[in-house]
Amino acid sequence: MRARRAVRLLRLGRLPYAESLAAQERCAGRQRAAGPGAAGWLLLSEPAGPVYTRGLRGGPDPAGEARRLRALGAEYWRAARGGLLTFHGPGQLLAYPVLDLRRLGLSLRAYVGALEAAALGLCRRLGLPAARALPPPYTGVWLGGRKLCALGVHCGRHITSHGLALNCCTDLTWFDHIVPCGLEGKGVTSLSEELQRHVTVDEITEPFLDAFEEVFHCTLISHEESIG
Amino acid sequence: ILARKFTDKHEWISVENGIGTVGISNFAQEALGDVVYCSLPEIGTKLNKQDEFGALESVKAASELYSPLTGEVTEINTALADNPGLVNKSCYEDGWLIKMTVDNPSELNELMNEDAYEKYIKSIED
Repeated sequence: MRARRAVRLLRLGRLPYAESLAAQERCAGRQRAAGPGAAGWLLLSEPAGPVYTRGLRGGPDPAGEARRLRALGAEYWRAARGGLLTFHGPGQLLAYPVLDLRRLGLSLRAYVGALEAAALGLCRRLGLPAARALPPPYTGVWLGGRKLCALGVHCGRHITSHGLALNCCTDLTWFDHIVPCGLEGKGVTSLSEELQRHVTVDEITEPFLDAFEEVFHCTLISHEESIG
Repeated sequence: ILARKFTDKHEWISVENGIGTVGISNFAQEALGDVVYCSLPEIGTKLNKQDEFGALESVKAASELYSPLTGEVTEINTALADNPGLVNKSCYEDGWLIKMTVDNPSELNELMNEDAYEKYIKSIED
């Protein structure tokens, strides 16, 4: 029997996007300084307000895009992650694994696959066996032509940050103002849409954590101490 | 040309006439997957050994790049703007990332030669 790696779980609840970024930075710093055996952290949060974020690549007119999206009443952030433009907001689960890939023996590509597998594991547990991960450039979790879960990660010194955004009861109309992830003609969806009932972030958290532990062969240990 | 040397973060550098050409190893390009975007520094950027100098995106994953040595960026591979896949297809030749001066040649002694790097990869994979 192989011992499971311990990953520290930080449930941040509903908080502004900027604070979830700050929390992940702090965890990444702690992980860089951590002794052997520490595999990393998993941060869970739900954005308190509407936010558009753009990844590493930037767009053709960043200033114009920022102006346009802020005028809608949302925040706009650049994030040092892969992936293009997406939306985060209330009703969405943000999962940020801050994991040491060298300690876990995972390549970056395998890690992205594992994140998708965790989201798929959640879908199976909720009775959505048709959910699929698609190959690049459609990385993410889909039901039909509709994206349920977006992915965008960063890796520095083997330590990951950013992660996935899974729509539970997100107001999907916010996505109407962008081409999500730069993929023309593709839709977005949420667990509430697919299951035809109101599904909250709280409801799906435990099954998600279960799927995460299964995929990453780890044990999640709740971290109560405030890292503010 | 001085033989290629490697860092523990899977960058390589080979020095000719005082200018080092930097790229990522085959192990690294395989681990990343298909590179879709290269974020590289401006010419003239001064880098200390191990400074982050850019990132490679391989669809949804942005991976930082670290300078093998201390020096100044003299050239960047502009072919990568339209053809980032060169990093995968030809990581040791056409997929080079930057060229830089070598301000402290003794730093080269701290890097791994090809044999040592191969051993290092094997130790990671186990």
